[in-house]
This record gives sequence, C-alpha cells and structure tokens, in this order.
Amino acid sequence: MVYSTRQVGAKNTLDYKVYIEEDGKPVSPFHDIPLYADKENNIFNMVVEIPRWTNAKLEITKEQPLNPIIQDTKKGKLRFVRNCFPHHGYIHNYGAFPQTWEDPNETHPETKAVGDNDPIDVLEIGESIAYTGQVKQVKVLGVMALLDEGETDWKVIAIDVNDPLAPKMNDIEDVEKYFPGLLRATNEWFRIYKIPDGKPENQFAFSGEAKNKKYALDIIRETNDAWKQLIAGKAVDSKGIALANSTLKDTPTYSAAIASEIPEASPKADAPIDKSIDKWFFISGSA
Amino acid sequence: MSALRRLNHLKTIFNPVKRHFSAVKQGSKYSRSFRQYLQLPNGEIGSYFHDIPLELNHLNRTVNMVVEIPRFSNGKFEISKEIPFNPISQDVKKGKVRFVNNIFPFRGYIHNYGAIPQTWEDPTSSHQVDRKHSLKGDNDPLDCCEIGSKVFAMGDIKTVKILGSLALIDDGELDWKVIVINVEDPLASRVNTLQDVDIHFPGILGATKAWFRDYKIPAGKPSNKFAFDGQYKGVSDTIKIIESCHESWTNLVSGNVETNGVILPQIKKAGQGVFMDDNLEPDSPIPSEVDKWFYIKK
Repeated sequence: MVYSTRQVGAKNTLDYKVYIEEDGKPVSPFHDIPLYADKENNIFNMVVEIPRWTNAKLEITKEQPLNPIIQDTKKGKLRFVRNCFPHHGYIHNYGAFPQTWEDPNETHPETKAVGDNDPIDVLEIGESIAYTGQVKQVKVLGVMALLDEGETDWKVIAIDVNDPLAPKMNDIEDVEKYFPGLLRATNEWFRIYKIPDGKPENQFAFSGEAKNKKYALDIIRETNDAWKQLIAGKAVDSKGIALANSTLKDTPTYSAAIASEIPEASPKADAPIDKSIDKWFFISGSA
Repeated sequence: MSALRRLNHLKTIFNPVKRHFSAVKQGSKYSRSFRQYLQLPNGEIGSYFHDIPLELNHLNRTVNMVVEIPRFSNGKFEISKEIPFNPISQDVKKGKVRFVNNIFPFRGYIHNYGAIPQTWEDPTSSHQVDRKHSLKGDNDPLDCCEIGSKVFAMGDIKTVKILGSLALIDDGELDWKVIVINVEDPLASRVNTLQDVDIHFPGILGATKAWFRDYKIPAGKPSNKFAFDGQYKGVSDTIKIIESCHESWTNLVSGNVETNGVILPQIKKAGQGVFMDDNLEPDSPIPSEVDKWFYIKK
C-alpha cells in the first residue's frame, strides 16, 4: 500500500487539514488504514500526527468526513503544547494506530477509568523526525497507562521498523538499554505537560511503570475490538464520531462517493507560530 | 548610497532593538558560503568582535551580547576569527559545516548562545586558573549563555545581566561560559544571582554543565572537564573575568601581543569605508543526521 498526504491550507492555521490518500484516493486514517501491516510479525501501521520537537497539537479529527489531521483548538484558538524544561515540544514522533478506539463506554478493569474516545496513541522513538500524515510501519515495545484528566489514555511505545536500532529492539527492557532515560522522560513529560496551562499534574496507572510488549499487544487488540464494534454500528454510544470510510464495503458507513467530496489539495506555506510558544516553563521539582 | 542600502539604513533607524546596528547577509545558510556581517548605522561594514561596544555596567551588572546560535538549534555559527570583519559564519570541520549533536534530553543548544564583544580569551600564554590548572585561552571572544524566555535570532545584539560563569576546559583550552539573562526578560528584575537562577529556572545550571560536559561525546571526543571543580563563579568574579578578557582584547586590537605561534584573530574594524550588499541565497538543507538524538550512558 502506498500512502500519501493531501494538504489543505497552511500549517498553524484553522484551515489546515491533512488527508491521507491510498494510491491517490482519500481514505480515513481512523478507519480505512489497516491496523496490521504484517499481522504475523506484529508490524503495525502508525499514523503520525505530531513530529518530534514540535508543539502544534495535531490530531486525527473525529468530527469531519474521512477524519483528516487538523490542529486541536481550545476556546477557538489553535492549541500548542508548552515546552516544559528540559524538553522541547513533543519528545517522540506522536501519532495513533488506525482501526483502534479507546471506548469511553467501558471502564478498564486495571486502570479503573474509561477510555478517552480516541484511537490509541503511539510514541515512536526512532532517530528520524517524521512528518504529519506519514504512515509508518512500527514494532511495538510496550505501553504506559496515562490517566489524563481521569480517562485512560494508553501510550504505546514503538519504533519504526526502518530505524537502525529496530532489529535490536524487541521488548520494553530494550528501550532502557538503547535509549537510557527515555522512559523516565516520557513519564515526566506526560505528567507535567498541562501544568503551564493551569491544570494539575497527570497520573499514570501501574505507578508509572511501562508494561511489556505482550501486555501492549493485548491492549491494542482490545482497542481494535472496540473499534470493530464502533465501525459496525454496534457501540453503546458512538459519540458522534465520523465513521464514513471509502474502503470498508461491509460496514454501514462505507461510501463509494465520499472520496470525491474531499477538497482538492491546496497546500500553502506554513503560517508563523506565535513567539510565546518558544518559552520554556520550569516546573519546580519535576526532574 | 544604493536604494537597498538606503532602505537598510532606514530599517536600522526605526529598529531600536537592534541598537542601530543591522546585518548584511551573503551566501546560503548551512553551507560554507554563508556570512553575516555587522552593518553600522552609516551602512558601513563593521566587526561583531570589535565594533560593538562592551558596555560593561558595574552598577546594573550588565554587558552586551551578540547572539550567534538561537536556542533549540544545532548549526554551530560563530563570529569568525579568520575572515576580515569577523562575520558570523558556520564552523567547518573536515570540510563540512558543523552542527552540534542533540544530547538526550536536550534539543540543540539549550540557551541563546553567543559572545561578549570586545573580549578575548588570550591563547598566547597560559596562566594559573585554579590550583590544578594552568591554561591558555581559546582565542575567541568570551562565550555567553542567555537563559531568558525568548528565542533570539542570529546577530541580535542584547543588553544582558551577568549572573555567573562556568570554567569549561574544552579540548585543553580555557573557555568561560558566562551565564546571562536579557534585561528585557519578564524575570530579569528578579534574577540577580545564581541562587535566583536556581529559584526561577530550576535545573538549568545543572543542565548547562551536563550539556557542555557531554556535547562532543557523539563526535568521538572525551567528556569535557571544568576548572574550579565544576563550581560556578558568582557575579563579581565573573565581572573580573570580563574585565580581564576586555584588557586582553585591547592588547589584541592595539597589536600589542606576542603571538607565540598562535594565529591571532582578524582585527580589521569599521572606519575603512567598506560597503557590501545583501546577497542571501536559499538555505541549504540540514542533513537528516542532525535530527538524531544521542543517548549517553551514565
């Protein structure tokens, strides 16, 4: 499968949208892209939303047909994450697994919290900086259970199969071995990243410990099952998620026509980011 | 005066932030052709090293700084010693423009990094720095690390408050890093000492030390050492260091220095009626290996 991106508008504006195309035809990164790139070998497709070291909170939207990646807004303003010392923007290539859903109708037996209503998040740790809308093939290494404002928000830790270290990376302990300090930094990052916005520190389930690959694969399977219910129209409450898709012929929301209703590409040069986003916030006692 | 030069001249007049100085840029950034020259209010080319006044103010404990490298960036830009008028250019190693590696958890430089004009760390003879070290200077203007909230641009000239300093021994040469904050930063009035830095920027002093200790390890070099057992010097000691390096600079520009085999920096400065025009070309691509994060095992 060859995926490409279709950009509408300028980055860092409310008009910005990135659609994913499969062989030139718009598809939904939430529903159409298969979760597994190679099921037998546990290779997954990951959709990159936010490149490492950037601040714009870009995400697969649940509201618009074919779920383009857009920038999140708060009170009508574009949302950027703040830099919390010593970090600069996101510290991973951040994105999601397609065909997964953290079901907000279900309380997870171990985290004791409901899902956050999004596809499951993925933290890709390889050395390259990815781009928004990139579809990467990744190996899963583990998972952390963030409790973000009271909802379960799994963070799967993965590495691009093409990274030079990927052959050596097989489970969570390899992360500490080859990326010493990264799990601790990841834990700290998600705990404190909303403090500059006046929110309290986030918590992690399991005392902040990262679970291993096997555990992660189970969680991904569960969120994939939840998505299957969602796309089949069988979820308890589908929360108004745009379920239109252009390839899943067996689903009630399949649409042969939807791809032609998507706007043509109209990329524009990046808009400038407000200078205030450069600021480093020093959170006492975080490090 | 050409129309372009006249326009630049007008720009400097209406841009007090740049203190009436402006810049002439040539070549392609991230390539060996790049040069950024200091331009004086009359349009003439000057030197970032020699023509920007030191303006050391003992009462306010402030001094001038020239920004070479914006925070969070990797290009090793510096005031050239070799090129007449000391433009800012990118350091070259083995024929390639140099980028610093990202040392986890940091991304590029962690300060607005630059130099204090009209200072010079004298490389021609060693002196006793502390009980253990007799060292020569690194032949550069004094380096400084600005910790304020804004990211500055290359060539910015800022009045900064002196907060302390760290005596790095880089490849065997003494290379002071003066810690400063922009006087216009919202926190500047509350930050007067290293203790204040710890209160308002917790972790930055330790990170600064770790950064300079480790930053050359990915390039295959050993970790750097520090004089004074790695202890920071306070404000009054730092002012003395600046004064001493200003005196060395005065000797340098007056031609009053025994070279002892060292190639001294260019001392050509404004007043010779040299004019240049902007001739900036599009940026060269930054190599993708600059994106890599290096993890140093502790």
